[in-house]
Amino acid sequence: MSVDLKTSQNGNGVVTVLIEGDIDMSSSTEVRTHLTDLFEKKQKAIVVDLSKVPYIDSSGIATLVEGLQWSHANKTKFRLTRLTPMVKDVFEIARLLTVFEVFDSNEEALKGI
Amino acid sequence: MTESVKLTIPSDPKYLSLARKIVYHLLINHDVSKEIIPRLVLCVDEACSNIIKYGYNGCQDQPIEMCFSLAEDFFEVKIRDYGKQCDSRDIKPRPIHEVKPGGLGTYFINEIMDEVNYCTNREKGTLLTMCKNLKGEPASAREKIG
Repeated sequence: MSVDLKTSQNGNGVVTVLIEGDIDMSSSTEVRTHLTDLFEKKQKAIVVDLSKVPYIDSSGIATLVEGLQWSHANKTKFRLTRLTPMVKDVFEIARLLTVFEVFDSNEEALKGI
Repeated sequence: MTESVKLTIPSDPKYLSLARKIVYHLLINHDVSKEIIPRLVLCVDEACSNIIKYGYNGCQDQPIEMCFSLAEDFFEVKIRDYGKQCDSRDIKPRPIHEVKPGGLGTYFINEIMDEVNYCTNREKGTLLTMCKNLKGEPASAREKIG
């Protein structure tokens, strides 16, 4: 099962990635490759919009954790927005809601970057 | 009365979504709380993913056999594979305070399910049994083990 990844430039080196579809073992590699490409382009900030992700598993979480670690190492901002209820629940179980910068809207996520 | 549904999928990640859909519909048709259903679906997905990754080393044409049993207040999943066995004592989630990729699948299973048992007392593979009380709020398997 593949995911759809749409990237839009917000100007000033800020990129928003809209992910559409389940992020599981069959699709997390695609997400990881896409995010890695963006990190390598040395963006100032990457905002990941999860509003169209109805399902995420541990491989998807691992991909986002990798993104977070990469952002820390490279002083880039890495923010998550609009988590669906299932995704938010998985983040809560994994106790990651306070580890990531999580926002309810893309507008909020873009503030202060 | 206990109802059972059996499902066999190849060890190809593209079939995980099929397994998830079947578990979801089985539980929704049984009037299981909509809050717990995604968590139970996650456990089945994570167990199958672990089998593909570790039991079958990524080989995509091996069988994963599942049996889902539902009673009024009880959900049991048995998942059988014929891959590499490992000592159940070695199947450990990573400490949750360590923020790093990997090791979360087993953590989710232990956190959500009430009972988790890996049986390797057979010639090949493993039989994983996971149980969840659908009515009460018993301690997670992780807390029972810990």
